[in-house]
Amino acid sequence: MAHAAHEDARPTLHMGLPLPHGKLAMWLFLVTEIMFFTALIGTYIILRNGTPTAAEPWPKPHEVHLVEALGAINTFVLICSSVTVVLAHWTIARGKIGATMGLIAATLALGIVFLGIKAVEYKAKWDHDILPGHIGERLEGPTGQQYVKRIRPQLQHIVDEHHGVTDAALADCKQLLSDMTDAEGRYAIIAPEVGRRVEEILHRHDEAQNPGLHLTPAIPYGNLWASCYFALTGFHALHVLGGLVVFVIILLMGLTGRLAVRHEAMLEYTGLYWHFVDIVWIFLFPFLYLI
Amino acid sequence: MSEAHADAHHGPNVRGYLIVFAALSVFTVVSFVINDFVRGDKMSAMSGMLIILAVAVVKAVLVGAYFMHLKYDWGRVFFMIVPAFILATMMIFVLLPDIVLAWK
Repeated sequence: MAHAAHEDARPTLHMGLPLPHGKLAMWLFLVTEIMFFTALIGTYIILRNGTPTAAEPWPKPHEVHLVEALGAINTFVLICSSVTVVLAHWTIARGKIGATMGLIAATLALGIVFLGIKAVEYKAKWDHDILPGHIGERLEGPTGQQYVKRIRPQLQHIVDEHHGVTDAALADCKQLLSDMTDAEGRYAIIAPEVGRRVEEILHRHDEAQNPGLHLTPAIPYGNLWASCYFALTGFHALHVLGGLVVFVIILLMGLTGRLAVRHEAMLEYTGLYWHFVDIVWIFLFPFLYLI
Repeated sequence: MSEAHADAHHGPNVRGYLIVFAALSVFTVVSFVINDFVRGDKMSAMSGMLIILAVAVVKAVLVGAYFMHLKYDWGRVFFMIVPAFILATMMIFVLLPDIVLAWK
């Protein structure tokens, strides 16, 4: 070994680094992505651990209608798509273009399934009004009146429509609505009490039997949670969408007969990006859904 | 081009990829089950968190090493990844005082 090193001591000319330019470019791009997601996740860790107290802890997944099983299924979907994309690279290197096309199509389908499940989850947040700036908190302050103003028409709507709510839930909503206003039409109970009663109603009645029970919840740090959730999963979903565009391009190349063994590197670099997106989700899943 | 081509034949075979896939699937189930234990008070939140985080790190290493070919390419790309990890760790650490100093 020492002998070999001595022989190599004479400088030899190397043009650039011992790796293809494409791979170098993709890895440089991925390390900027590492910093991007570290900043997002780091900020989330600070916000989550910095301010909440024992009396007002960070929202639990069930409080903000986050279903752990959906997150786990999406983790599995992305893992499957990582396998299909790595096999697509393996097959194109061996000239099996047809198999590559099938695997890329499968990857595209899995990516769409991931975004579909994400859309179902976002829809649930929308339905339950778990959106940044909407959730009731610090109700003893000025936001309390805003919260009451938001809740009153929601209760009125439930009472008027009587659609998708059980009789028991409807009775509770009627009771709260009448308790909220005195004979002269003024607010009869203070905002923190309204928030407490709304949470009571939401917890007492089964969600599945009451799809029409749309009341803005009052959750301490709910707005901060929603901001973190949408920022982290939103940026990740945009990355998934970006990957899907590339898969569509590869499929179009294949369908027009232009995909060939010489595109092996392109598939490898696309795979590198896709696996990175998978790794980000591997961390987002426990951070948002589990821990 | 020739180098990229050579890589493909150094990498793991289909069997290797499927073993990694099985391991990743099992680890996903493990973190989900551990989470259920914590929710059901069968395990402390701290030990649950440590296991779940460790599982996530192992999964990320598996994806990086095998699917991203780092097991074979590490010697040629580490000079980009290592500084990014050092800077990422430093960024988390300089943010940490905000937790400690937060008004309780």
